[in-house]
Parts: sequence; C-alpha cells; structure tokens
Amino acid sequence: MAKEGSGSILQFAPFQSSVDEGFWHRFSSLKLNKFGIDDSPIAISGFFAPCSHPQVSNHLTLLAESLPSDSNEESSIPAFSRGNRNRCSVPGILYNTNTMESFHGLDKQGLLRAEAKKIWEDVHSGKVLEDSSVLSRFLLISFADLKKWSFHYWFAFPALVLDPPATLVDLRPASQWFTLEEAESVSAACNEWRNSSVTADVPFFLVSVGSDSRAAVRHLKDWETCQYDGQKLLFAFYDPCHLPNNPGWPLRNYLAFICARWNLKTVHFLCYRENRGFADLSLSLVGEALITISQGWREHQCVPNAVGWELNKGRKVPRCINLAKSMDPTRLAISAA
Amino acid sequence: MVLSQRIHEAFKGTVERITGHRTVSAFKEKGVLSVSEFILAGDNLVSKCPTWSWESGEPSKRKSYLPPEKQYLITRNVPCLRRAASVEEEYEAAGGEVLLDNEDNDGWLATHGKPKDRSDVEENLPSMETLEIRHNETVRSIPSYFGGEDEEDIPDMADFEEADNVIETDAATLQSTYLVAQEPDDDNILRTRTYDVSITYDKYYQTPRVWLTGYDESRMLLQPELVLEDVSQDHAHKTVTIEDHPHLPGKHASVHPCRHGAVMKKIIDVLMSRGVEPEVDKYLFLFLKFVASVIPTIEYDYTMDFDLGSSST
Repeated sequence: MAKEGSGSILQFAPFQSSVDEGFWHRFSSLKLNKFGIDDSPIAISGFFAPCSHPQVSNHLTLLAESLPSDSNEESSIPAFSRGNRNRCSVPGILYNTNTMESFHGLDKQGLLRAEAKKIWEDVHSGKVLEDSSVLSRFLLISFADLKKWSFHYWFAFPALVLDPPATLVDLRPASQWFTLEEAESVSAACNEWRNSSVTADVPFFLVSVGSDSRAAVRHLKDWETCQYDGQKLLFAFYDPCHLPNNPGWPLRNYLAFICARWNLKTVHFLCYRENRGFADLSLSLVGEALITISQGWREHQCVPNAVGWELNKGRKVPRCINLAKSMDPTRLAISAA
Repeated sequence: MVLSQRIHEAFKGTVERITGHRTVSAFKEKGVLSVSEFILAGDNLVSKCPTWSWESGEPSKRKSYLPPEKQYLITRNVPCLRRAASVEEEYEAAGGEVLLDNEDNDGWLATHGKPKDRSDVEENLPSMETLEIRHNETVRSIPSYFGGEDEEDIPDMADFEEADNVIETDAATLQSTYLVAQEPDDDNILRTRTYDVSITYDKYYQTPRVWLTGYDESRMLLQPELVLEDVSQDHAHKTVTIEDHPHLPGKHASVHPCRHGAVMKKIIDVLMSRGVEPEVDKYLFLFLKFVASVIPTIEYDYTMDFDLGSSST
C-alpha cells in the first residue's frame, strides 16, 4: 500500500458539496421575507463527518440549519445541535447575487483569496488552537432565481498551497502502521473522543502512542506537552475521503498550519475514518509528509496562494438545481388536485 | 397523487389531530409503538449505530407529542452502489429466492426474489405516483432536477465555461472529480447514488415510517420518482409512495406504514416462538431489517445482528 510513495507529490482528494433541499427552502424564505435585495454576505455553516463507509466519501452538507433562522421568535441554533458527531460544523460564507450577470461577474479568485486570508490569520493568531474548525472554511456564491425556483451556485473550499508541494514519504492503512496492540488502543481512544459531546465535533486533534502501546487523543493546543511523553505523535483529522491512496482536503490547511506554527519538516498524519460510526483503522491512513517550503512562505504578511473551487462533473462550471416541483405554488396546486 | 390517497391522507390527518397518542404498550400484541417507546427505541438505535442521529427538523412542522430535539431519526450519505432493479434481474437469473411467508400476500421478508408469475398482478394495483420501470431496461445515467423537462429557461452553463477567473493549476489536487462507483459496469456509468434515510413516527399507524431522499452521482438531488429504482420492484408499485415529509420540505419517497404493525407483529411472533423475548428498545433494529427487503441496495446501518432465522428449517 505504500504505493510508489517516496518522493511523490502528496495529492489531496477535493472536498465535495451536497445541498439539502431544506437549505434552499429556508434560503428562499429568508430572501423573500428578510434580506430582500440586500446582497451582503451571510455567515453560514456547513456540516461534515469523517468518512463512514469504505465506498463513499462524506460531503460538506448544507441543511436548513446552515442558515440563520427564518422565524424571528426562534433563537438561532439550538444548543442540542452542538456536539452532534454526525454534524461537525464548518464556517462558511454565502454571497448571493440578485442577477445572473452579477453572479457571473463575481471576482471568484478575489473571494477565494479573502477566505484564505481568514484562515491564514487564524493560523497566525493561534485561533486554530482554540477552535480547530476554522481551519476548514468554505465559500458559496449563488444566484437564486425565485421566479423560476432555480438556484445557481458554486462552492469553494479554500486551501492554502504549500510551495513547493509536500511530498509523500509513506502512506498506508493505519492498521498496518500501528502494531496490533497500538491499533486497538488508538481505536478505543478515538471512539471515546467521538462519543463525548465535548469533542465529537472537533475535527483536528493529536494522537500520541506511548512506548507501552497506550494511545491518547489530545487537543492541538497540547502539542508542546505531548512532545515528550509520546514516542509516536500523529496529527489526526476527520477525513471525509474514502480513497485508499489519498488523504482528504482538510489535511491541506492542517499541514499549512503545522508548518507555519511549528515549522516541522516531517509530519506524521492520521486520516481518521470510520465504518458504520466506529473507528476503522484499515480504512484510516497514516502518512508521512515532507515539507520543504520556500524562503518566506511562513511570513505572516504574505498570504499563500489558495485553490479550491469545486468542479462540476470535472468542469469549471456552476451547479444549478430547479425546485419548481416542490416550491411552485401553481404546480403544487395541480399535483394536489 | 391519486384522489383516494389524498382523501385517506385528509382522514388520517383528522384522526391524528383528534385522538391522543398511544400510551399503553401494544408492542407484542400488535407490533405497534407508543410515542415513548419510539423515543426509547430511537435512543437505542443512535447509541448502537452512531451514524444515526435525532433531529428537530423544520420548526414549523414540529409535533408537540415528540420532544423538540427528537422529532425524527436520520442517517445521511448512505451509499447505494447498484440499482435494485438490476439486482433483481440477477436474482431472478439465479432462480430467485423463496418468500418467507406469502400466505397473506405480504411477503415482506423475502429478500430480493420475485415470483415470475406475478406480472399480471400489476394491472390491478392502485396507481400511485410511480414511475414505470421496466426490468429489461438498462438503467441510464439519471438527470437530476437540472435537466428536467422545464429546462429551457435555464441558461446553458457551458456558455460560461471560460471561467476566466477560476484558473487553478495545482499539482496537489487529486484530479478525480466525483464519486467513483465500486463496480463500474460495462457501459462505464457511475452508479453510486447516496441516500438520506429518515425515520419518523406515524401517529395514525403507531409505527415508525421510513423516508428516502436520494442524490445522484454528483450529489444533486434526485427526483423522488427516480428513487423508486432503488426500491424492490415489488414494492415500488405498491407500498412505496411519494409524499410530503412530516418534518422536511419537499416530496420524498416513503415506505407506506399501513402494513408495518402487522409485519412487525409477525416478526415478533417468530422470535417468541423460538423463545426469544423481543425487547421494545430493539424495535428499530428489527424494523430496519425488514425495511432492508424493500430497499435492498441502500446500505444503511442496522449493525445489531439478530437471528431472525429467515428460513425456519
């Protein structure tokens, strides 16, 4: 499985978006009743979870709850949605335009750079250590044609580009990288992390394995103290990707963070994946990446390049969904007759 | 929707409004659940199969008899690697399977088999909002909402493909664009759909009810009619209908609950006849096991293994 590893460029499987019908319903209602023609950007949340099936990746999902509430009396997001292990939230921003022309006229690279800059700021300010979910951000641009109930939209998952790219020294299933005893302990520790409502939706963390094969999961901010007590220290993250030879997208900004914050040259990472909701170390991957960034890359002032516009069936085009069937009152009346 | 179906919905709605919910357990006698038993069984499902979670759904659609944070259960992004229709063809080619119990014409537990001589029955079936799916038709790549018959209004996105300001050449981006199916067929069509499977409580029938929301290979919403391709073809023309979801917007495919109580009662009876005392908090595991016969290719999670002994020999 170590797959012509040594020296090849580490390639990441792009994040994929998935929008629930409820999102567009609530968005339409907000647009009609609250926003009107105000097209200022709106803070929204996406949700994801680690890959939970060997054959499909998980997506960044938008639900009705991704948006602010459309009724005034309702308080924003109810407390019980926090700590949901199947809904790790990712901060995002929505730019909705009022015309097709302005949708196409948006400065996509500029918007992406602006989001990348936020990530870079959080990397340098240390905010990532307090709330690691800010490492993955997303951007959504849209044009909601409420006369036709069609929605044109395009996602971006901004990723800071390491220059030159990281190279892959080794990548294999975690079950092969750990000893049997270690693997059992890592599984148990990760399951515990996932089942606690305090940590269930914390997507970036550390896994340390001591010389006694005992594993522990720690918060990122404990990195300095973990340095001495563990023989093996891995940077772990919830990996939405299912592919056996590639880590998922969140690792990109994670590596940028690790590199900028601690200036590590060699990084051991754990792509944490599950099967049916439980840690699966044969699906999870352990890799070793080599980072040799160019002079000045870590400088706070110069924001690295960013990539991440989602492709639509391999093409650089927006997506479109028509919901007239479930939104158009005339059609609903006809189908009800 | 057929008129008779609508009248029944209206009747059911009225009954639900004016009658109280079940408070006394009739789990073993009738195979039904009270509201509190539903919560109990749901909590157990969520703890044993953590890909499931409770959700609160649309605030305007909340049912007062359920806790606000436990309105219904859902598991998202469940893969469906093949169409049920094509699976059945294979089973039939292999001789099919025997129905567990067909005496009352409710052979729920039959896995995927379909008796050959039943094609004539279809004419007498109530016409539901179904799509005619012919078995010998190969399943083609499915247009989602985008690409429906009303698309003349939608500008052709290809016109905009210059994508002048999305120039990204990046060596570290894996160039695989969308989900790759496990087994691409000879026509090279990717068949991996995914489903959001939800379970609501049906107050009228006092049973859980399963709903399906499908997404195509590029994760675009599937028209509910196309979901019927992933339903056992016996049921696609009978027990699976397309209706309003009680907690979510839009039309969704659902397994109609009118026989759920009877089928669950049968399963419970089989268990009891073997000396297994069924527990009410395991109801949803049993329930999902039988739902698997209706949606054989949707790989949702019902990890708990029960020996139902599908053949009693």
